[in-house]
Amino acid sequence: MINDKNSQKIVDIIRNYARKHSLWILAYGTGCGAIELPPTMTSRYDAERLGVRGAATPRQADLLLITGYLTTKSLKRVIRVYEQMQDPKYVIGFGSCTINGGMYWDSYNTIKALDRYLPVDVYINGCMPRPEAVLSGFAKLQELIQDGKANGAKEYKENLKWYRDNQKKVITNWKMPEYNW
Amino acid sequence: MMMEEIKTTIIDRIKLHFSDAVEKEFSYNRLDFSVKKETVPSILFYLKEEMGFKHLSHISCVDWLEEGEFEMIFILWSPEEKIKVFIHTRVDRSNPVMDNIDMIWRQANTYEREMKEMYGIQFTGLEAPEEFLLEDWNGPPPMRRDFDTEAYAAKTYWERPGREDALDVRETVEKRTGEVLPEFAKKYKR
Ligand code: SF4
Repeated sequence: MINDKNSQKIVDIIRNYARKHSLWILAYGTGCGAIELPPTMTSRYDAERLGVRGAATPRQADLLLITGYLTTKSLKRVIRVYEQMQDPKYVIGFGSCTINGGMYWDSYNTIKALDRYLPVDVYINGCMPRPEAVLSGFAKLQELIQDGKANGAKEYKENLKWYRDNQKKVITNWKMPEYNW
Repeated sequence: MMMEEIKTTIIDRIKLHFSDAVEKEFSYNRLDFSVKKETVPSILFYLKEEMGFKHLSHISCVDWLEEGEFEMIFILWSPEEKIKVFIHTRVDRSNPVMDNIDMIWRQANTYEREMKEMYGIQFTGLEAPEEFLLEDWNGPPPMRRDFDTEAYAAKTYWERPGREDALDVRETVEKRTGEVLPEFAKKYKR
C-alpha cells in the first residue's frame, strides 16, 4: 500500500486508465435494446476499439447493460447478476424505458425507473438509442471512470438498505442469496 | 376442387355431425363455426382425425365484459386443403371452466397455461406447473378487461416525476408539433 498521497494519485490514474480501456459487457439482453449491440460490436461501429467487448459470465464482466424495459421477473435475475459481478462494475441504462418507463409506463409488469433498484452510472436516452448514441454512452462512461466518478458500485454498497427496500417492494417473493460483501 | 366447393363440403359435414354448429363464411380460405362449449373437444377431434385439420395454429380468448362471457377461439389449419377453420365458443365469465384438449394436440397445453394465467380460465384436468409467464403474481388475471392496468402500475411502481404531460405518444406529438392526427389514429387513442 502506498501511503504517500501523490503516489496514490498516480496509481489511481494508471488504474483508471486501465479500467476504462477494458470494459467487458455481460452478454445479457433485456427489452428491445440488445438488438442494437450487434451493429455496435461489428465492423461498422466497432466498439472493440474502445476496449468494449462481450463477456460470458458475470464474474468476468465489468459492465452491465440494461437494454430496455425490465419486468419484475427479469429484475430479479438482473439484481442477482449484478451482485455476482466483481468490482469494478458499472451499469448503463439504455433507452427511455429504463429512465421513466418509456412506452411501457402503464404496464402491469415493468418497472419505470431503473435507478431505484440498481445504481446507474450512465443513461443513454432514445427509443432505441442508435449505435452512435451507444458509443457516446460508452465514451461518457470512460470519461467518468477516468475522473474517478463512476462510483455506482460503492453507492450501492453504502445504500444497500434503500435499494433492498425498493427491490423487495416489487419482488414480493424474495428468495435470494444475500452476498456478504 | 375449388375453394367454394371445399367449404361447402366442410359445412355440410360439420352440420351433419354437430347440430349446434353455426357457420359464418369469410373471404377466400377462412371458415368460422360457433358451437356450444361441450361440443368443442369432439368437433376438434373430428376435424383433426376425419377432415385433415392436422395443425392447431392458435388458441385465443376474448373478454366480452359487457356480456359476461369469455369467447374462446381455436384456429385450425389443413395443410392439404390450404384452408383454416375457426371454432368459437362462449364460456361464462363468472365460472370460466373449459375442457382441456391437450390430449388432441399436445401443444394446446402451452396455450392453456397462458390463458389460465392471463384470463383465469380453468381447464379441467390440465396438468401443468402453476406459473407460466408471470412470477409471484397475486393480482387478478392481467388480461381481463376489468383489471385496471394503469392504476395497478401507478400503485406498484414508482414513477419519475416530469412526464405527466407526455404519457401518450400520439397526443404528445400532436400537442408539441401541431401535427394533425389522421382519423384512424384517433380511433385507437386511450
Ligand atoms: S426504450 Fe423503446 S426500444 Fe428501448 S426497451 Fe423501451 S420501448 Fe423498447
